Amino acid sequence: MQETEHDQAISTWNRVFSRLRPIGISPQFLLVVAMLAIAPLFINDEYILHLMVVSLLYGSQAIAFDFTAGFINVVNFGLAAFVGIGAYTSALLVVRLGASPWIGFAVGTLAAALLGFITGLLTLRLRGLYAAVMAWFVGLALMALTAAFTDLTRGYLGLSVPLFLKTIEMRPYFYILLPITILTYVVLRAVTNSHIGLAFKAIGQNLRAARVSGVDPTKYRVLNFTLSCAVCGMLGVFYAHFVGILTPDVMATAHTVEVLALSYVGGRGTLWGGLLAAFLVIPTFEYLKPLMEIRLILYGVLLILVMILYPAGLAGILQRVGELLKRRLWRG
Amino acid sequence: MELAAFWDLILTGLLRGGFYALMALGLALVLGVMNVSHFAHGEFYMVGAYAAYFAHTAFGLNPLLAILMAGLIGFAIGALVEKVVICSLRKRTKEDWVMNTFLLTVGISFVFINSAKLIWGARFRGVAHYWEGTIYLSEGLRISIDRGAGFLIAIAAIALTWFFLNRTQLGRAIRAVAQDEIGAMLVGINLDRMNTLTFALSSLLAGIAGGSLLSINAAYPYMGLRPSNRSWYVVMLVGLGNVGGAIMGGFIVGIVETLSYYFLGAGWQDVASLLILVLILLFKPSGIFGTEVKGVLER
Repeated sequence: MQETEHDQAISTWNRVFSRLRPIGISPQFLLVVAMLAIAPLFINDEYILHLMVVSLLYGSQAIAFDFTAGFINVVNFGLAAFVGIGAYTSALLVVRLGASPWIGFAVGTLAAALLGFITGLLTLRLRGLYAAVMAWFVGLALMALTAAFTDLTRGYLGLSVPLFLKTIEMRPYFYILLPITILTYVVLRAVTNSHIGLAFKAIGQNLRAARVSGVDPTKYRVLNFTLSCAVCGMLGVFYAHFVGILTPDVMATAHTVEVLALSYVGGRGTLWGGLLAAFLVIPTFEYLKPLMEIRLILYGVLLILVMILYPAGLAGILQRVGELLKRRLWRG
Repeated sequence: MELAAFWDLILTGLLRGGFYALMALGLALVLGVMNVSHFAHGEFYMVGAYAAYFAHTAFGLNPLLAILMAGLIGFAIGALVEKVVICSLRKRTKEDWVMNTFLLTVGISFVFINSAKLIWGARFRGVAHYWEGTIYLSEGLRISIDRGAGFLIAIAAIALTWFFLNRTQLGRAIRAVAQDEIGAMLVGINLDRMNTLTFALSSLLAGIAGGSLLSINAAYPYMGLRPSNRSWYVVMLVGLGNVGGAIMGGFIVGIVETLSYYFLGAGWQDVASLLILVLILLFKPSGIFGTEVKGVLER
């Protein structure tokens, strides 16, 4: 009798979440969101809050990166430039035309999406490596343009950008960014769980088989790339009005590599792996001051180690632990 | 535009091209033989520049020896990196090798750049000149001896490499690996050793490039980025892994870039060269001299 009740409870639980799971809302997801949403209320240290915002920002970029790298197997090596184009579009709108930063969100996202669409259309017919290197070239060209147009962008002198809010407290910024991250995750997860996501995986795993089954690789790749770039642009807009000053260095390859490292350390093809890695890696580096000096070296070392030793990354470890626990519970 | 000014541009382009050819040759070797998409190529250029700087200033070696030293240190570090990092990946990776090597070398590049920054700081370390004076070519056309010497060294290094690849037993073995790995193995070529040798050789070329240009480009942690992306540009233009094409392509890119820089200015020049590449790849994805090299083209 007790067992049936137990079963019933489980089946209700399952029924509820079977509706939500396709858009990525699982019990674990809700738990994490709740933790993230509540945590800042108990933290009064501005420095820690700042770290949380930065981790969230990098983690969200890693989600966008993994959406391309982990699914269609295209490394967007110009990621930082798409973040930068979002940032500069919004910043210039606000500074030169006096628009509100909230309009910047829409326009910046669109600009990055458009650029991503064009880049994708021109390069994603080519094989993965070509596409990665071409995206890199696009990023470098954009950076050079931004630096050259000193009249408009002030180049390396830096463009000072109005902040979102009057306050410089960190907590409100966290609550601006958190919904963006959640929205990003839910939308991208919904796409990867749909039939489009199946096509992505097919392309990523075996291109020829995908083509034979009637999947047009270029179409799906461009769609994927555009979406990912749009997210990057949106995060760029946030970055611009969060940091308050822009130089062409936002587009530097080093930033792409940081996001890339986080994403691979987190675990490719999981979306959330990079976010987890960001929350673990960034604060750790900040707290161990001596590590700060060699932070970027460690990013490189981490990337090398993950590539050679454990390609599944943190997510792989977690999933393995989760499976072990589940097996234990089932048996008990 | 005056004729002298035009020839001046062409000359600048040629000098630049010699350097690009040297860098691209090393990259093309690694791509063609090992099928490694080597992102850290520019970092060996940086290593060479630092090696030449310390050999020249701290140990007072004469310029030629300093440049040789840069090459040798590049060779040693290249061999070490191949043995420790790339070889380990080869032992473990089953699929997606090309992309994995790309990410792996991105990591290597990051480690190199930031280690240099940690050890030597973010300041320029250069020499005013190796050899003083200029060479007078004609009215309004003169180059510094350093530039001329750098160019000659690049040409000599390219010629020696060419000789090595075509006329020696070891060089032929390397080319055999590039053509057919299994076939090479069957005739008794030690693949591991050839891979290490190729990577070290490529690093040697990059090291020489960095060393010989020290008086023009001072040693600096981030200095490798530009040579790296230019040599990638060249190899993509001529077809990945095409060694002969990379040399030609280096000169073409050097001249075209110098001209477009003169007419368009910084910023747009990057855009123009990007557009050229996009157009070429759209119509001829295997590059202008496109030869099919294993595993590099869309399958």
